[in-house]
Amino acid sequence: MPRPVDLLARLPLAFAAAFGVLCIVLPIGAMLLETVHGPDGFTLAPWATILATEVDRQQILASVGLGLVAVAVAIVFGFGHAWLTTATDLPGAPVLGPLGIAPLVIPPILVAMGFADFAPASGFWFCALLLGTSYAPFVAVMTARGLRAVDGRSYEAALVARGRGPAEGLLLRSILPEIAAGCLFAFLFVISEHGVPEFLTVKGKAWHTYAEGVFGRWTRRATGVAHEDVVSPIVAAVPLIAITSLALWAALRFRARSMLRSDFRPLPTRTLGKWRLPALLLPVTYLTCGVGVPIFVMTRWAMGSTQTREPMSVDILRRSFRAGLEQSGDDLGYTLLLALLTTGLLLAVSIPAARAAARRFPAIDHLAVLPVAVPAVLLAIGFVKVFNSPVAGSLYDAVGYDVYDSMGVVGCAYAARFLPFGVLTLSQAVRRLPRSAEEAARLTGRGPVACGLRIHLPALLPAIWSVACLTFVLAARELDVAVVLPAGNDTVVRRLSNIVHFGGEDAGGALALMLLVAVTSLPILTVLLTGRKLRPLS
Amino acid sequence: MKQILALAFATLLAACGRSTDVTLYVALDQEHSEALVRRFEEESGLRVNARFDTEASKTVGLVSAIVSEKDRPRCDVFWNNELAHTVSLGQKGLLEPYASPAAAGIPAAFKAEDGTWTGFAARARILIVNTDKLGTDRSAWPTSIEDFADPKWKGRCAIARPLTGTTLTHFAALRFALGEERFQAWLDAIQDNVVWLQSNGATMRQTADPQTEIAFALTDTDDFHVALQKGHAVGAVFPDQAEGGLGTMLIPNSVAVVRGGPHPEAAKKLVDFIVSEQVEAILAASKSAQIPVRAAVQGPESAWILGIDDFRPMVWDADEVASHLAELSAAFAQRYGGTR
Repeated sequence: MPRPVDLLARLPLAFAAAFGVLCIVLPIGAMLLETVHGPDGFTLAPWATILATEVDRQQILASVGLGLVAVAVAIVFGFGHAWLTTATDLPGAPVLGPLGIAPLVIPPILVAMGFADFAPASGFWFCALLLGTSYAPFVAVMTARGLRAVDGRSYEAALVARGRGPAEGLLLRSILPEIAAGCLFAFLFVISEHGVPEFLTVKGKAWHTYAEGVFGRWTRRATGVAHEDVVSPIVAAVPLIAITSLALWAALRFRARSMLRSDFRPLPTRTLGKWRLPALLLPVTYLTCGVGVPIFVMTRWAMGSTQTREPMSVDILRRSFRAGLEQSGDDLGYTLLLALLTTGLLLAVSIPAARAAARRFPAIDHLAVLPVAVPAVLLAIGFVKVFNSPVAGSLYDAVGYDVYDSMGVVGCAYAARFLPFGVLTLSQAVRRLPRSAEEAARLTGRGPVACGLRIHLPALLPAIWSVACLTFVLAARELDVAVVLPAGNDTVVRRLSNIVHFGGEDAGGALALMLLVAVTSLPILTVLLTGRKLRPLS
Repeated sequence: MKQILALAFATLLAACGRSTDVTLYVALDQEHSEALVRRFEEESGLRVNARFDTEASKTVGLVSAIVSEKDRPRCDVFWNNELAHTVSLGQKGLLEPYASPAAAGIPAAFKAEDGTWTGFAARARILIVNTDKLGTDRSAWPTSIEDFADPKWKGRCAIARPLTGTTLTHFAALRFALGEERFQAWLDAIQDNVVWLQSNGATMRQTADPQTEIAFALTDTDDFHVALQKGHAVGAVFPDQAEGGLGTMLIPNSVAVVRGGPHPEAAKKLVDFIVSEQVEAILAASKSAQIPVRAAVQGPESAWILGIDDFRPMVWDADEVASHLAELSAAFAQRYGGTR
């Protein structure tokens, strides 16, 4: 008979497992089941259409190419920014470092519109540059996390014994799991992006991505009656899952190794010497492209740059902010609350899942990536099927509360979608913890709860904070899930998307700026309030 | 701090759920529809739970939601900013017939024979012309969709890719209006002449932008009106008005009661309000400048946007278009979705 304390210790993992079944397996499973359940029973016919046409094959190649080039850009900016602001004496590093996450706040489509506003921005290479910059924060945050988790003494030992080159090689190998995870995330987001490639191929169509093709199939599903039409966007997502699995396999080849010990010492701060000032060029370029230009353009929009009736002015800026607040003040509050809820949920699920992945079930790492591998709309419609099913409905009637119509279901969908960030990041962090500490705790009679709370949690806190910041930012700007689920109606990004589309760039620019300030201020304020104890932002 | 906590608590309460008397899914831009929803609430005393679509999802979000929710419908009324998807929902058996008495003045051409939808407040598919680039002499302006095939406009005219939204509906309707052979010939002729953009908003922006080569484009009247209001040098042409010409495509808003929706009686009251003359007039006067389908209702202020009796609309069969939309969407995706 298990002791009560053992049962208590299993509760978080049971919660994570229940979440996984309810919010990942069932929604995606329900959608996949639809593809094999035709009007005449079991069928695999729709699966025969996967990559069946030349256009599909061209699109998938374009997507992979775009993903790889964008990842290269993300490595240059993200890795460079993290390394310079974390491991060197770069001037202004404490301020520049946390700003590394900021490019993630502004939806890339707005950045693209902003660039196109004053420069002839179009085509594959510009798209790769823009998406690489937008998603470089994944690489930046993960790299910074890795650099802070490496024991400085091993680096110094290699430096003394074998010289600079081998020492740097050792360091690079030590943080490869985090860099690979960051690249994986950037790659996944780039290949699933449909709005920016479509927008940036404005002049003279030359190429299209697979995500654009999948998105177009939702029209077929919405208007079609034939089984093939209805399931076409679902089966079309299968190659994306396959590519994701391949990328994940490559990323997970670099498993983190145990690094933390009681006498852990952080990496020494490298002096840049005469390169101290020139080195500023990289973070400044990165932040200028990722944050500076969008802020500049949004400010111009808010000042009335897109109309010609009156000259741009501060008065228009004031009016734009007033209009933005009037239209979306409530939405902003709702969005921040939703982002907090998502962050809390994601941590509650990913901490036990990551511990299990690192210690007993490595397959969890693979399974957790599934929600971000499928298009967000597909996951959201899977949620509709599960949480609005007749069974769920009778349950809501019984308890007198309609979960489907609540913020909770959107929070669950977001948490499911962003779960890989939590699980992969934290499982790498758990792998860096020595098992000896857990064994010692058990030998002294401490139970698994105490082990989790007193050994794992303090050591994981910086990584948890990284995950919390990423999740908070991503949840605040998620759009695709929000347009399908009822309670996603009140999010500010959905409103922003509408305002900007219909020529409301002035109020839209103001709203985007407010969102940027609101979303970045929370992590940055916390960093300041905790005396930079929690500073895993790159 | 107390105020912040109070605001957070209030938001939480609001988020956790509120009692509603009727649920409305709206694909018309939120900027225009939200105020009307509030107005209905004030006039009727009913609380409306309104869900708005985004342009990014091009109606697909709400239509997909209605289809996915069919086992337990949540939506009472679907207010679409176009017609084809609504007709498609009707063909799937998801709509309840309702002949609103408030729609009595709406011509039969804008109503479903089986009463499953009612059309009102339309947008026309027009040519937006940059008057700085083409001059103000209208005789030099294009007048027909056939002009997109004229080599003299190569690289100077734009159309959104016909994969979603009103352009997909327009191209699908053209397929039946022109016949398969003529339609394919037209597609071939415009293929390399036209700059293909990603949305009607983009065609409007590119035409209005003095820095681009684009002199005219196919777009909707609401997008044209936005450019006009922003002070851009643009004019509008209602295409194919010559004797024997195709006419100008007109795409009305449509409203329908969802079958099995939780509040059928309130749904009817809401439909009555939406199809009322009052709403058509408000939409005509709004930034989206919708064209009232009732000749008696005052149209948009702008002289560029013609009244319903002032131009010849293209004849198209919404049922025929909707029933082939999926197939045509797939064909267009093959034509316009690859690497060229």
